Amino acid sequence: MKKAIFVLQIILFSLVANAQITKVEIIATGLTCSMCSNAINKQLKTLTEVEKVDIDLNKNLFVVTLKPNNSLTPKAFRDKVEKAGFFIGSMVLNINYTNQAIENNKKIDNYIFIDTKAQTINGATKVKVLDKGYVTAKEFKTLEKTYAKYQTFAKKNEGLFHLKTI
Amino acid sequence: MKKYFILFLIVATIKTKAQELFVVTEPASNMPTGAIGVRAMNSFMYKADGSLNFHVMPEIMWGASAKWMFHLQSYLSNRAAGGLYNEGGSVYTKYRFFSTDDLHKHTRAAFYARYSLNRADIHQEEIETMGHNTGYELGVVATELINKVAISTSVSFEQALDNKPNYKYPITQSNNATNYTLSFGKLMYPKQYTGGLKQTNINLMCEFLGQTLNKNGRSYLDIVPSVQFIIRSQARLDVAYRQQLYSAMARTAPNGFIIKLEYTFFNVR
Repeated sequence: MKKAIFVLQIILFSLVANAQITKVEIIATGLTCSMCSNAINKQLKTLTEVEKVDIDLNKNLFVVTLKPNNSLTPKAFRDKVEKAGFFIGSMVLNINYTNQAIENNKKIDNYIFIDTKAQTINGATKVKVLDKGYVTAKEFKTLEKTYAKYQTFAKKNEGLFHLKTI
Repeated sequence: MKKYFILFLIVATIKTKAQELFVVTEPASNMPTGAIGVRAMNSFMYKADGSLNFHVMPEIMWGASAKWMFHLQSYLSNRAAGGLYNEGGSVYTKYRFFSTDDLHKHTRAAFYARYSLNRADIHQEEIETMGHNTGYELGVVATELINKVAISTSVSFEQALDNKPNYKYPITQSNNATNYTLSFGKLMYPKQYTGGLKQTNINLMCEFLGQTLNKNGRSYLDIVPSVQFIIRSQARLDVAYRQQLYSAMARTAPNGFIIKLEYTFFNVR
């Protein structure tokens, strides 16, 4: 039975198209004033696949809604925030999955779920990006120790993102 | 006076931008990449006889990358007979070499350099490559932002040269100086953002500017309190008063009002 489920999962996995980000929640660091927030806002809006940007100025939170069938990766948003002169303190992706089997330390496209139990996820799923440049410098120092056993995490490959469901 | 008001209105239509937003000093932070800022600094400085020296310094700024920015500035003044006269201009660049950020917080440091040309007469001991002297300035600035308070400090070396073609730098004066600044700024309004990016922000600032002439040790120290309005997260209006606290050197018109306007065009290139 277990084997059957596993095979089914494999089949389902092969049916799933690239996981698509529908929304990105970014908390930026290093700013307080609304002019700084606007600088980030304007940078994010230069991405043609961005539908809209909602801002909570008190939290420095930018909720970026993306157009369907976009091909954006977390790196695109990080580049824009840094171009505005700031950094990312936290990035949460909203990804739409259709019966996606995930397990710990297994690569799916450009993503690797870590610190995660084997499970099947379906529908809108929130995941946090754990890599360097996507959390505060302080937080990364802790994560680097916690996740030292994940070899790909320690390598800091810019095109590969380590995620944790939240 | 009416003349100045009309002039101010003209200048006000030329709009202007920034980030730690100090009135008389630049912070270590830069403009966003690809943004172009337009700025006009208007100084109404009182001479000892009570008459007014008016200076307009239109400036264009460009964020070349997150770390580099460039300014071009022009210096006009009414000091010469016959109205407003273009005395010179300058190029300025700033490179952010250090940055560490946390939530609502950052520490940044940058190097900066200015080269100025000026053809006006040399009329004071104070060295000021922004609008008075031909010469250059090399400096370093560090800025700390913690929640709503920003503190910035800089040290620079300033070298005055001849104001060509007609005015040699007086050999009796020190032709170089050390400058030091300390600036404080606080976001006063809003306490909590409720109106999004369109809500006006009000900052209160206080800056200290000092100079020591390296060859004779003479110094001055000024204080510049100011209030700043950030409009629609894109434009800036600063009103400041510069007051000399102390001076052992000859200065023509150290005290007076400064009105600065700034507007940012984001993502121009």
